[in-house]
Amino acid sequence: MLEYLRPMALIRSVFQDELDGVSQSLVDLTEMVSLSIAKATEAVLTADLALAEEVIATDDQIDNYQHELDARIIDIIARQQPVASDLRALVTALRMSADLERMGDMSHHVAKIARLRHPDAAVPTELIQMFQAMGNAAEKITNKTGLVIATRNTEMALEVERDDDEMDKLHRQLISTLVDPNWKHGVEPAIDLTLLGRYYERYADHAVSVSRRVYFLVTGKYAY
Amino acid sequence: MQTQVAPSSLASVAGNRQARVPGSELLGTGLETRGVHAWFGTKHVLSDVSLDFAAGTVTALIGPSGCGKSTFLRTLNRMHEFIPTAAMAGQVLLDGKDIYAPGTDVTKIRLNVGMVFQKPNPFPSMTIGQNVLSGLKLAQIKRSDTDELLETCLERAGLWSEVKDRLNEHGGALSGGQQQRLCIARSLAVSPQVLLMDEPCSALDPGSTFRIEQTISELAKTMTIVIVTHNMQQAARVSDYTAFFLSDGGPGAMIEAAPTSKIFSSPVDKRTEDYVTGRFG
Repeated sequence: MLEYLRPMALIRSVFQDELDGVSQSLVDLTEMVSLSIAKATEAVLTADLALAEEVIATDDQIDNYQHELDARIIDIIARQQPVASDLRALVTALRMSADLERMGDMSHHVAKIARLRHPDAAVPTELIQMFQAMGNAAEKITNKTGLVIATRNTEMALEVERDDDEMDKLHRQLISTLVDPNWKHGVEPAIDLTLLGRYYERYADHAVSVSRRVYFLVTGKYAY
Repeated sequence: MQTQVAPSSLASVAGNRQARVPGSELLGTGLETRGVHAWFGTKHVLSDVSLDFAAGTVTALIGPSGCGKSTFLRTLNRMHEFIPTAAMAGQVLLDGKDIYAPGTDVTKIRLNVGMVFQKPNPFPSMTIGQNVLSGLKLAQIKRSDTDELLETCLERAGLWSEVKDRLNEHGGALSGGQQQRLCIARSLAVSPQVLLMDEPCSALDPGSTFRIEQTISELAKTMTIVIVTHNMQQAARVSDYTAFFLSDGGPGAMIEAAPTSKIFSSPVDKRTEDYVTGRFG
């Protein structure tokens, strides 16, 4: 500990505990949406109705968790009147929780397509591998985002942006497949798959947004 | 690290007020310090402070007790030398002239650089009106328009509407917040260019504090204000610039000075960040 801090240590330990609690809740929320997208991917690839219902029900829990977290953040701002990095941490936490909640919505939308097409599979056999790759990319990017929140590692925050390129590439491949004149599954599945692709692509974009906000809260500057 | 506040950086001041334009004919060029040190006996209490106060701006001095900010404030109008054994070195320039230069009329300096203290200190035996005009009497300034001056000063101090019908009552009959505004009005009567305020609201309730802050905001349109405050939110609300002072056991030093929005959003020095976020102090 720095010498000048020694006699004054622990003065704001309650406040620090509250800030740590907010950070931990964001990590928890990240884990919830990561698990949610993993289950949604499995549900849509295996036409598993029970799993799709589970994902849909979990979205309410994610929403409630976010509402509780936001209320807690507003309460801390009102009572502790934070400034500088503390204020950035709380304001960005409000915005990160909104991004994470939206990621939960994306999982929910994926699960709803699985439920809508049940007992049929929404994804044709030849595209299973591609959607599995999108699901894996979504999980990977979310898990890294959780680490970025927990560690406030700005280098890792910038990596998430690059990881998103992988998702964007898969998304472009999917669109190419769907607009190919040899597409043989008709319009309705093509719409489902376009939406599914869009959900995964947006899911990853929200993760990038969360990582950018961590970069801002640490440095006070925008990454790009 | 020491950062001087350059008037040219005024344009970048972000906040709820418009950036002030320094150095107008009415306001002069402001107050500057160059390498100011202070001692009490052999104890070196303030080290090498160079800071500019652009005319027509509010600068807040913040820092833990014992960091030298009040001592620094008192060097700005030569109040520091009232304390036995006190000494200082360096320059304090008012409109480019060193107020410590040999032959300087100290009374004139203190008329130009007024001061408001932590505890309201109206003259108890004087009426409200006499309190406001007392500076003129002490400085032997003769004016024919004292009624008008009285109203103007009380108006600028945000007190006129509350006392206009009781100017002959004693100053002690006012509330703490009103007394403090009376002291501000008293300072204004001798037309200072600069007003120094040493924790002017620390003895006041929130409502009175709010009134004083409004007054500061109004006054800064026509004068330069330097305020020492322990209230971080107050510094953030009322000032254009903030300077952070700290002592590491030795003499106090200025750690960082910048536009207030910068100090309270992303200060450069880790010690400033730790102080404004309440990690110590």
